[in-house]
Amino acid sequence: MNLVEKILARASGRLKVSPGEVVVANVDTLLLHDLSGYITSRVFENEVKLPMRYPERVAMVFDHHFSPPNEERANILEENRAFARRHGIHLFDCGSGNIHHVGVRNGFVRPGTIVVGSDSHTPVHGALGCFAVGLGNNSHAAMVMPFGKAWFRVPETIQIKLSGRHKPVVTPRDAALWLTGQIGEGGAVYKALQFTGPYIKELEIWDRWLFPLITIDVGGKCGYVEPDEKTIAFVRTMTEEPFDLVTSDPDSEYEAVWEYDISELEPQVAASPTLGNVKPVGAFAGAPVQWAELGGHGGGRLEDIRQAAQILRGRKIAPGVKFNIVPSSRPVFAEACREGLVEILHEAGCSWFPPCSGSNQAINMGAMSKTEAMVSTHARNFPGRNGSPDAMMYLGSAYTVAASALKGCIADPREFWNKGGTV
Amino acid sequence: MTSRGRCWKFGDNIPTDQIVRSDRAFASIPEMAKHVLENLNPAFARDVQPGDILVAGKHFGQSSGRAIAPKALKATGIAAVVVEYAARLFYRNCFEIGLPLLECPGITDGVSDGDTLTVDMTAGLVRNETTGREFRARPIDPFLMGMLAVGGLIPMASRLAGEG
Repeated sequence: MNLVEKILARASGRLKVSPGEVVVANVDTLLLHDLSGYITSRVFENEVKLPMRYPERVAMVFDHHFSPPNEERANILEENRAFARRHGIHLFDCGSGNIHHVGVRNGFVRPGTIVVGSDSHTPVHGALGCFAVGLGNNSHAAMVMPFGKAWFRVPETIQIKLSGRHKPVVTPRDAALWLTGQIGEGGAVYKALQFTGPYIKELEIWDRWLFPLITIDVGGKCGYVEPDEKTIAFVRTMTEEPFDLVTSDPDSEYEAVWEYDISELEPQVAASPTLGNVKPVGAFAGAPVQWAELGGHGGGRLEDIRQAAQILRGRKIAPGVKFNIVPSSRPVFAEACREGLVEILHEAGCSWFPPCSGSNQAINMGAMSKTEAMVSTHARNFPGRNGSPDAMMYLGSAYTVAASALKGCIADPREFWNKGGTV
Repeated sequence: MTSRGRCWKFGDNIPTDQIVRSDRAFASIPEMAKHVLENLNPAFARDVQPGDILVAGKHFGQSSGRAIAPKALKATGIAAVVVEYAARLFYRNCFEIGLPLLECPGITDGVSDGDTLTVDMTAGLVRNETTGREFRARPIDPFLMGMLAVGGLIPMASRLAGEG
């Protein structure tokens, strides 16, 4: 069996499971944010009406609001807090950071476990060797909260092997964006995706993170990286809770094996309307942007902030560009302070925001008029997620975001390679 | 489980954010239903009749897994959603909240907006009464058909948890 099958078999009390079977399995962690958590809590209290079975396994993170913009939202957050108190679940209030980063940094994500959540990017936790999937509100309210369980169809697994070394100024985010285009939206519907190969094995955990992140946008059920010594060392820095590493058997069966070489890859940009609309940066070069942002489920990592600072040190962003820096968690901001990155980026003209999900869906920031465009490290670029359905969202690496902010239009970060001498 | 109604046809890759705009996510379900798919076809929420059938293309309901998207569609009174194929979370959510969903390859080329359709969930058949063409849907797992038959996940959850 592979990692997903072994975790599902163990959690459902079976010796073996096979693709296509429906199993009911014990869930280790439920992650909710202020928006999905609110919707789930209403179903749980108004329709299900049972006690919370394992409150210690449930965490709600307020990441769509770093601060409520009006009375309606303030009331919703107050209702969420009261819900958390009534049932004794963990609550991470405004300013804690992005749901997934907070989940990892507080020990809710451990190798070999089952992690579920309403956020569709929940599969990102497969980066730590978990079976991590997004479920709907009713799964959480009717099964996870009252029974600590959920139903799953055992997925078929596709092995995705990545090899090669990327060129300078090309990053794992470029590789992940490009891979989305290669697989295609809906290219892997209902499948489990094992991200492997020498390229993935060499990456550090926060860079591996960017691959299971794309699972949902190619239609997959879950994505994962086989846990190794890097995973163990990483998780040990986050939690003292014990965990059992689960790895795929050498004779595991895969529905398909897809191989890619990223050696010749250029920096990539995905323009609205979808993530699958990804092309080398040159295809969009010169397109004006008024907004730039590091943030969201995949962005706002220390790695992103360092990359932006490499490009922007001693420079000023273009007149008319607003550059939001949204740390993914409080420890990231603390480290950015220690490394002097806060000052470098402030002096370049960027604005620091509290740790949260940033402009993700423009719940508390990041709305645009129909003539505006943003370039960001966010995970999504669907029309209407940031104000006007006509507003444009370009996704790229932190290098590309920073280079574009400098020029006021989509720019190739390699222009700054060996020129400014800082990258 | 057979129903007959007007076809409302939509395109490919429609995310849940376009079914219910995220700034409406805190509204009541009936309120969301009044604005469902508003950016793509404002006439749908205004003119849809109970029993009508929504047809869409590939990867319908991608993006967020919030069940408010199928709930808002169900609240319009539509009898079924028929798509080329659905996003995984949308698929799961439809059965969990009791909204019949069929994946029917070729459906978008075979129907036009305004056609009259008959959907037979049990047989997995969609018939275009306007043109006479028939389409066979992908089989649905018996587990999910059972869930649909009792009205969704909530009524069957305790029994299911006991079995696991």
